[in-house]
Amino acid sequence: MNDAASGARIGVFICHCGGNISDVVDVKRVAEEVGKLPGVVLSTTHMFICSDPGQALVESVIKEHALDRVIVAACSPTLHQMTFRRAIERAGLNQFLFEHVNVREQVSWVTEDPVGATAKATRLVSAAVHRARHLVALDKRRIAIQPAALVIGGGVAGLVAARDLAQRGMKVTLVENRPFLGGRMAQLETVFPTGEKARDLLAPLIEEVVSHKLITVMTNAQVVNSEGVVGDFRTRIRVTPRGVNERLAYRGNAIAACPEETVNEFDFGLSKRKAIYMAYPGCWPPMPAIDWHTCTKCGKCVWAVGGKGIELDAEPREVEVRAGVIVLATGYDPYEPLYGEYGYGIFPRVITLQQLIRYLDPEGPTGGQLPLDGASKPRIGFIYCVGARQIEGVNQRQPDGKVKDYCARTCCTGALHAALTIKDHHPDATIYNLYQDVRTYGRGHEAYYERASESGALFLRFDPRHPPRVEKNPRGDSPVVVQVQDLLTDRLDVELPLDLLVLATGVVPHDISELVGMYRCAVGYDSFLLEVHPKLRPVELAVSGVFLAGCCQGPMDITEAAGAASAAASKAAALIAQGQVEMDPFTARVNEALCTGCQTCLGVCPYTAITRDPVKRIANVNQALCTGCGTCAAACPSKAIEQAGFTDAQVLSEVYALLADRSGAVTA
Amino acid sequence: MADPIAETAAPSPDGWEPRIIAFLCYWCSYTGADNAGTARLKYPHNVHIVRLMCSGRIDPELVTTAFARGADGVMVCGCHIGDCHYISGNHKTMARMPLLRRTLEAFGIEPGRFVFEWVSAAEGEKFARLVRDTVAGVRALGPLDWPGRLRARGVGHGRDLQPWGAQP
Repeated sequence: MNDAASGARIGVFICHCGGNISDVVDVKRVAEEVGKLPGVVLSTTHMFICSDPGQALVESVIKEHALDRVIVAACSPTLHQMTFRRAIERAGLNQFLFEHVNVREQVSWVTEDPVGATAKATRLVSAAVHRARHLVALDKRRIAIQPAALVIGGGVAGLVAARDLAQRGMKVTLVENRPFLGGRMAQLETVFPTGEKARDLLAPLIEEVVSHKLITVMTNAQVVNSEGVVGDFRTRIRVTPRGVNERLAYRGNAIAACPEETVNEFDFGLSKRKAIYMAYPGCWPPMPAIDWHTCTKCGKCVWAVGGKGIELDAEPREVEVRAGVIVLATGYDPYEPLYGEYGYGIFPRVITLQQLIRYLDPEGPTGGQLPLDGASKPRIGFIYCVGARQIEGVNQRQPDGKVKDYCARTCCTGALHAALTIKDHHPDATIYNLYQDVRTYGRGHEAYYERASESGALFLRFDPRHPPRVEKNPRGDSPVVVQVQDLLTDRLDVELPLDLLVLATGVVPHDISELVGMYRCAVGYDSFLLEVHPKLRPVELAVSGVFLAGCCQGPMDITEAAGAASAAASKAAALIAQGQVEMDPFTARVNEALCTGCQTCLGVCPYTAITRDPVKRIANVNQALCTGCGTCAAACPSKAIEQAGFTDAQVLSEVYALLADRSGAVTA
Repeated sequence: MADPIAETAAPSPDGWEPRIIAFLCYWCSYTGADNAGTARLKYPHNVHIVRLMCSGRIDPELVTTAFARGADGVMVCGCHIGDCHYISGNHKTMARMPLLRRTLEAFGIEPGRFVFEWVSAAEGEKFARLVRDTVAGVRALGPLDWPGRLRARGVGHGRDLQPWGAQP
């Protein structure tokens, strides 16, 4: 019997999580069953054990009952393990005399059968009780934090985060994978609720960022690999050559000379651009870039500028950036309607809100003219909630097999703002708004709804289960006709011939599946990145040292994205300001009596942390280099290496307990 | 095809339920399993996760011990090659587990009872599918009762199996 603490006094706390757990798992029953186990002094449940009163309860009970082991069965340890470790440390107990059992993400949320879920939760908690008896006090290790940040994404959120970090004296690397800064905001014309020009707002922000001494900006740069943990992330970045350098004097000539054209993504396909191009007038960097997918390296641009400033043969280069913290600001993509969704792709006069905004932009593809084919009293319709608040069984599933059931939050005000802009240019236009609900929730947003109503725009409310139908106009007096059942007039069937139909499209996360894998980000059911806690830790990922800024986390308007970015920057700066991070002490330890000096462990260690002690002729683990994977412990043929926190006794006691009713009693 | 959840969640007529132990690395596969939870994917309750820091910690004896203690199936999951939080811990897993599978086969444990797959932090759907498939496969194979089989063959001389030497 090598029981580390046969007389252990164990306390078990099982969380309801406000019903998230207790709606499926009978938590009282689990507490009752586990309470019968030897050594368990107290077994109880709590509505929110992570709350302040919950933590206070844990602390007081530890003192009151002189507990020396604590078990909390709640959400995933990635969320709250640290919360409880800190709580029990406040109560005077070593924080590693704690076991966290995951009964939410791995039981209540994934199990339909309450009986099976309760049985599974009981087994998992009793396994933790058995394991807890073998826990020993451990000391945290501390490592220094690199006083630098890596911000991924050069849109408004990334720019704000980079600026705020630099203002606090942090070194920042800002990485943007497109050749130009500004992101989605640059594609807007004017913004609500101030009516200012989007690019006029961006320009000083970009200027502040690129001219800051502490900020290094990399455009055309992709993150290819990341190693390390909080305090020292080592990220490899591939910089695709721009193809153009500062010596380029006649950029207009170079662009004019290019014979290759492709779809202009900046205008959402409404225009074409050359292979050598600038995103928009006044963009940063203020020089063109070459799109290597379109460029044929014909050399006409080189010839047009007399050979100066264009390099067609530059090779991509890779750089390593070391940073203590990472801020993800990877943004969103507008929802691209499926072919035929409200006639999109079939009728050229069915466009998205983003395309409408490009049309309305005086610097846009048509100089601010709408595609109305000269209609004198244009009839323009908006359909709201396209690619948002979709209903399973009514709306077609997306390629990922889901429907977009969340509210995209920006399109209502965005569409009303655009409708009012149209009214300014075309006072005799008739605007029809076909909506489910108008959600102008933000400060100053309701004014757009009011002004649109006052301007004579018509509002027709449709039942989301019977969305409008878009068809070719059989009479030919307009490009399309929309059939809609209007709830406001007791389901009157309305037929609207329209010159232009605008789909107020939603927001989907930009595809960052590679980054998700690299930084081990949690992803929500809606495919956006998931914060640790929506209220208490809204801009932190569960992975320590990685922060969220802007629309990678969910639909936000610019106000909210900038706010989130500032929050992420201050959380990141606070972490750097600590100067050091604490590391788990789960390192390998050698039992000198058992080690035979066979050196099997030397070969398996990924960090070359193990050497052979030439005098004792046994293995020696360098605790500073060991990161605590435990690979050597698994390889040792003499069982001479144990991983602290994951010793054979600890792991096996868990396995034995999970199988207790299968092979007889677990002795311990 | 019938709904896999309904198919696997229904208990067997004799009340037997597969008991499966899953050894998961913390950084990818455990987070992947959490990901299945946050996405509210459903899978049967038979799989019990044991968390380790790296799949490289998974000593093959952990797996044999689980079987020897009465598990009907064992799952081993780690980060994809190239994604290991500890650079190359999973390379050792990749070397050990296929060898272990052959050893288990030699012991008479059907290959379907031992599942070894990479699951990344983003692959909640893969994890849920893997659990459903594993439970369905083990259910089809029926109870293993390896301790009973070994005792019947005189292995262990009637004593409880203690492959690890001292009982923890």
